[in-house]
Amino acid sequence: MNEPVEKRYMPEVSRKEIDELKTTMKAASQKVMAENIERMKKADPKRPEAMKYFDEISNLFGKRQEEIAAEKAKGKKVIGYMCLFAPTELILAADAIPVRVNSGWYDTSKLGDRVVPVEVCPVIRSTIGAKMIELSPFMEQSDALISVLTCDGMTKLGEILSDYKTIWGMNVPRIKDSTQSLRFWNDEIKQMKNQIETFTGNKITRNKLKEAIELSHRATKAFRRLQELRKGSPVIMGRDAMLVNQTFLWDDKLRWTQKTEALCDELEKRAQRKDWVCSPDTPRVMITGTPMFWPDNWKLPTLVEESNPQGIIVADEQCSGERILNDPVGVDEWSMDDMLNAIGERYLMASTCPCFTSKDGNEDRINWLLNKVKDWKVQGVVYYVVRGCMLYAMEYTRVKKALDKINVPVYYLDTEYTREDVGQMKTRVEAFLEMLTARVDM
Amino acid sequence: MDWGIVGDILRLTALGGLGVAGVIAVLIWKKNRSTRVTFLRFVIQATALAAIFYVLSYTVSPASGGLPPIMFLYVMVAVFAMTIVLGRVFCGWLCPFGFIMDLESQIRRAAKIRYRIVPDKFNVALHKSRYVILLVFLLLPVVLWFSDPRPIMVSPLMAQLLAGHYRPYSVLLDPLIPFIVPWKGQVIVDQVNLTYPYALSIITYAGTNIGQILAIAFVGTTLAGAFAVRRVWCRFCPTGASLAVVNRFKGFKWAPILHISKDEEKCTKCGVCKRVCPVQVNEVYEQKSGKIITSQCMVCARCVEMCPYEDVLMVKLGSKTLFKSRNWLEPSRNE
Repeated sequence: MNEPVEKRYMPEVSRKEIDELKTTMKAASQKVMAENIERMKKADPKRPEAMKYFDEISNLFGKRQEEIAAEKAKGKKVIGYMCLFAPTELILAADAIPVRVNSGWYDTSKLGDRVVPVEVCPVIRSTIGAKMIELSPFMEQSDALISVLTCDGMTKLGEILSDYKTIWGMNVPRIKDSTQSLRFWNDEIKQMKNQIETFTGNKITRNKLKEAIELSHRATKAFRRLQELRKGSPVIMGRDAMLVNQTFLWDDKLRWTQKTEALCDELEKRAQRKDWVCSPDTPRVMITGTPMFWPDNWKLPTLVEESNPQGIIVADEQCSGERILNDPVGVDEWSMDDMLNAIGERYLMASTCPCFTSKDGNEDRINWLLNKVKDWKVQGVVYYVVRGCMLYAMEYTRVKKALDKINVPVYYLDTEYTREDVGQMKTRVEAFLEMLTARVDM
Repeated sequence: MDWGIVGDILRLTALGGLGVAGVIAVLIWKKNRSTRVTFLRFVIQATALAAIFYVLSYTVSPASGGLPPIMFLYVMVAVFAMTIVLGRVFCGWLCPFGFIMDLESQIRRAAKIRYRIVPDKFNVALHKSRYVILLVFLLLPVVLWFSDPRPIMVSPLMAQLLAGHYRPYSVLLDPLIPFIVPWKGQVIVDQVNLTYPYALSIITYAGTNIGQILAIAFVGTTLAGAFAVRRVWCRFCPTGASLAVVNRFKGFKWAPILHISKDEEKCTKCGVCKRVCPVQVNEVYEQKSGKIITSQCMVCARCVEMCPYEDVLMVKLGSKTLFKSRNWLEPSRNE
């Protein structure tokens, strides 16, 4: 369709090889997903009923993929994005379906090595690999991709994927609290609006955009309610909540909101019964750092919540988790310009991505972490970094210093897109949790 | 004892009661947290407008057509004193001209037209010019008196400026009057002309008096300007010259008592506060934490109302928190 004749990055892979790899990896991935969910069910015997829906929707090759295919047959466009900076409200307002297409498959990162060196962040390599063998259904279904130039990996990922897809680049200014940055970014947002309009053929009217913003407000509201419930004694396993947050990336927004509300209702009742998922003394852990994508890259939360002594994840600061929905679009006047500016500010200014810098360092991220530690009564922070994720790795020292000041231990855990180091990671996580338990007892 | 004054006080008390009833009604009916304070402010502004209208048109000696000139001086001194101690509450919550500009903004909003943004530097320059304007209008009566020495009977020079025969030059409280009692005719008390441009005198006297032309031009431009720029006059109105500058000095940290305060840790710097501010105060965004030190702020609390994070911004009276920003996406926990 949009494929250029000559591929600038991607190697020529025969159809036979693609099909073979796809079949085996799809089967493997389905097994992993089933296993992950099985383990999550086992961890919490009285798992909320409402989680059934999220289990179902979390199957990447299941229900949601079919739904999107059906919508596409009716003429709807699907617009994929690789970074949270993509303005999903605009996509929704143009009657298109937004999906995030980053990949969490370990196996495909090996395929990505054929295109980029092994030092590159595995999220990027895995996404390239998944595209190579057409594994990710959402990537295949998307008609265009929004590539936001945040970290080095994301910058080149868009270029590499342009061998297959229409790519719209969005420049992110690296200093966010200056007026010219905001002006520049607002122009990018307006440009993106025009592009989406021309591509989908649907005009983004004032009312449609207002509806889209109000829809995302409702979703944020549901999300915040869930987060609020995690502040007290644990009523939901961290993994369950993380899965709920992540399904928002590809699910239907309205239905997701309703299901999350239902989940919160159930959890509220549970909190009233004082029926905790684990002892309230369990060390409360927060995860920060590189995004973790379903299904394969679920090893750290699994380890934390299944190790002995056990920990419970009460919060995270990741763009695959709480950052998806934390900030609402604050509209002052419901005019087109103001809504676009509000969207621009919500995506640029409120973001705590480490790609930003300013004279104070990435102050907002530190403040946000400190505040989370306080409000969610976090007892230990796991700083999760995959090899090659430079920006997160480089901010670690600053985060550690800030957390040391308030006497909260932080553990730097670096890993790869592989299952081989699970045993070693288990030892490290257990040692950390052991230490946390000792501190709690004191 | 003049029983008329007792009647006036009773009527004004009844009006105040109506205002309180309006406030309670808004608190009960307005569930949308992102517009609640705005509506509260409208109710209070409308009540203040009615009260000022009553005072200007009916009270004390109706036969003379209004208050004696000296009263304007008292009102001015009261407003200035209140501004130093409380901050610019008068501007944000009571001023009828501000109310009219807010109504204009509402009309513009309904028409889905976007406001214009004044460049930050120019905005600060406008703000600084208010002190110059204030100084000019304090010196003006003295200068005018030398050029045209008339006997000053009851009132000192300042009152002459505010309500006396140099009145057309005054822009301090005058802008309020034609908006409130536009039909009032020319009034002369003790050889003092109390007239300000109203519909009739514009037609009759336009072109005959340089002061009146200036005044008409002023009213016209500010009214038109308020459609394009939010609260355009408030950006350099000398009445709003707040001495919030003094709180930079030792011993004056308490002033103004009513102020906006910020908690840095919870702030994600999303920039909403900066965008929604009707007078484009940047300090609320730029300042890291603590009391927001600026004399541009009118304490309208729009930023506090729109802040999407709990407890980041708050309106404080001294050290007591009156109103906090909260997650406006949902009703508060105790509802």
